[in-house]
Amino acid sequence: MSKSACWTIIIISIIVNVIMLNRTVEAFYGREPEILLVYSGISLVSSFIALLTYFQWRKVEY
Amino acid sequence: MTEKKKLGRNQKDTNDDMINLVDNLNREDDLKYNRRAFLKTAVGTSMALGVATIPFSVKAMLGFSEKESEKVEIARLSDLPKGESITFHYPTEKDPALLIHTVKGELKAYNNACTHLMCPVFYEKEKDVLLCPCHAGFFDVNNGHPVAGPPQRELPLIEIEVVNDIVYAVGRQYRHE
Repeated sequence: MSKSACWTIIIISIIVNVIMLNRTVEAFYGREPEILLVYSGISLVSSFIALLTYFQWRKVEY
Repeated sequence: MTEKKKLGRNQKDTNDDMINLVDNLNREDDLKYNRRAFLKTAVGTSMALGVATIPFSVKAMLGFSEKESEKVEIARLSDLPKGESITFHYPTEKDPALLIHTVKGELKAYNNACTHLMCPVFYEKEKDVLLCPCHAGFFDVNNGHPVAGPPQRELPLIEIEVVNDIVYAVGRQYRHE
């Protein structure tokens, strides 16, 4: 994976996580536990992808 | 730039500002704030945002403690003319709510903490709309859904019942049409 691809994935993961955090909070105050868990799950998966991408970037960069 | 500096431009150890263009660069900052550091911070931010959703999930999995709905008397209908509203608390004393007798003659009740930042919501009979004055949030009086401003969720609906001219609150719906 190229360095620019790593950058793109990490920036996209931030965008996804900001949206998911907003929706999680809205679902929490709207008392919708099922949909809240979906948003939270997406957010955690996105964070994990960002972490894996970072390790990949580190391998290429150094 | 002084005239003196200009004259010394081509001499050794000159102080001319067109020669010493990198004087404003701090070597330490250059090592600390760079492209690599930016990417690491971005990954940290992404991780932090992801982890921030966990407490909400844990609380949701433990379950929301909603008290059993009770039938609570709000007011006498004859004491509430059209275009007026009164404040009451339902289902607990910590949940302020608004009973509205709309200008069209309908009875509506909602928890009146704005879904944006919990400011109190008021009934504007001139426009037949619910208004949160803090950040100009407007809600439709017929269904409690936001129509303008920052709120994204509808106001919780209080189910009401009228028996012998007395208005009762009998339940609450968080998400509704």
